[in-house]
Amino acid sequence: MNAGLNGQGTKARYRGLQKVSRQRYIFLFVALAPSLLGYLLFTLYPNVLSIYYSLLDWDGLTDAKFVGIDNFVHMFQDKFVWRALYHNLLLIVVVPVLIVLISLVLAYLLNNKTYRENSLYKVVYFFTNVLSTVVIALLWAFIYDGSFGLLNGILGIFGLDMNSFYWLGSSSTALWALVVPMVWGGVGLYVVIFINAISAIPKSLYEAAELEGARPMTMLFRITIPLLRSVIRVCVVFIVLGTIKGFELMLVMTNGGPEGSTDVIGLYMYNLAFGKDYHNYGYASAIGMLLFVILVAAKYIIDKYYPEEKVEF
Amino acid sequence: MDWVWRLLLFLWAASIVFPIVWIVLQSLRTNAEFFQNIWELPSQLQWGNYTKAWTSYNVGKSLLNTLYYVGVSLVLGTFLTALNAYALTRMQFRGRAFIWSLIMLSLFLPGINALIPQYILMKTLHLTNSLTGLIILDSFGENVFFLMLLGGFMASFPKDLEESGAIDGASLFQIFWKIIVPLSTPGIVTVAIFKFLGLYNNFLGPLIYLSDPAKHTIGVNMYHANMKMQFTSDWVTMFAGIIIVMIPSIIFYILFQKRIMAGATMGAMKG
Repeated sequence: MNAGLNGQGTKARYRGLQKVSRQRYIFLFVALAPSLLGYLLFTLYPNVLSIYYSLLDWDGLTDAKFVGIDNFVHMFQDKFVWRALYHNLLLIVVVPVLIVLISLVLAYLLNNKTYRENSLYKVVYFFTNVLSTVVIALLWAFIYDGSFGLLNGILGIFGLDMNSFYWLGSSSTALWALVVPMVWGGVGLYVVIFINAISAIPKSLYEAAELEGARPMTMLFRITIPLLRSVIRVCVVFIVLGTIKGFELMLVMTNGGPEGSTDVIGLYMYNLAFGKDYHNYGYASAIGMLLFVILVAAKYIIDKYYPEEKVEF
Repeated sequence: MDWVWRLLLFLWAASIVFPIVWIVLQSLRTNAEFFQNIWELPSQLQWGNYTKAWTSYNVGKSLLNTLYYVGVSLVLGTFLTALNAYALTRMQFRGRAFIWSLIMLSLFLPGINALIPQYILMKTLHLTNSLTGLIILDSFGENVFFLMLLGGFMASFPKDLEESGAIDGASLFQIFWKIIVPLSTPGIVTVAIFKFLGLYNNFLGPLIYLSDPAKHTIGVNMYHANMKMQFTSDWVTMFAGIIIVMIPSIIFYILFQKRIMAGATMGAMKG
């Protein structure tokens, strides 16, 4: 009887364990499957498919035709691709440098000066980062307008009559005019990041430098920036990759014009696939693959030529 | 020399505040007044511009669309992320490492090359031109940043948390919902804040997927309104429209300013 009871107990416990483990599997399935399946379907599968699409000649209406590497051959002869890449290159050179330099100076000043308004400035600077690209783009479109824009109005006050010059309407100024909202919209985030990083640097370093008679900007370039190397590196990677693939601002403000002077590679791809007239999914996908390669290469180059160095203080 | 630095800080702040204040002021004047002189203050407050923006741009409808899209994606997405982070950080099971490595793969995918196949896929599934389709696209998926943030949070709880729950006879879901979620609230709120910002400011997704104007979200609506304005020259109404779009962002920023800044820097520090 004793043995029987014992046996029943084990069986009950076994059944209980089985129930627990079944419940566990159900829970795991419910917890993991929706996100994982969505990720496989909407992210991984399209990424794999994009390789195949880049080998097709397909306008979305008629049947797709397999053309091998024709799209890539055409791409290297397409002067619009080179023009767009050239604009990307200009932006990669200018935008990260401006964003990092301006945010470093602002963060340094906010950290080392004790003006009453500093805490308010931090909040104001960051504000542009919660605005959508559309709002930033429209705001700056109003600023740049020829006849009623804010910029020409301000220049007018200082006695510079711009004769209703439309900043986004001239192919010599449009791309540079776009750099300003890109920098303006990005700086706030990096100011906050750099403020946090700078406040981790011991005050004694600055005090010692001050005793030696160092000026504020000397301390910024000799103490702060060298010690922030690894944080700056992360930010540079982030801004460079964003600049290579970003095109929303151009899409809203100029749509690549005038005369293609603000066309970037992402926008060119977008317009080929989703633009108003002719659609070319195959060719656009080939450009997408090119973008993929460029992004991976950019990451690799930054990693190689901007090696991570551990600093200690 | 000191005043130069102070002026520099002031000028950057002014570059942000001044254009916005200028647009608010001009949005309360008539077009005739505005074309006359862009510097004057409103002589009589033209609140009618806001009513006109609301009706002629169909702002009410697009705000409702935005509310539906952002609201459902936010609740569904945050819930799934929390559930996912819990299972991936606090439960041991076969294949866990494999799933993690699959998710980490997304860090190498820039996403832009997948735009076209994703669109074709959505079209095949009849999910284009539908707010619900967009919700599905944006809620079901993995996000390394959110998983790390929440997972790191959950991993810091003591190991026997689940055991004590299990002894009381609670099911796994009850343990998750009644013990883990309340403890993780600060992390979940941060995730929700960033999801909100991403969703409310999402422009490319709604632009590509929603072709019917009746389904436009507020951002896409303003984009099209601005295209039309190039022919109507109705500046003050456009100004009013822009301010309406900015109001939710401003309110949200005032409410969560500290958390937004803290969360935004977390990514860079860890990286």
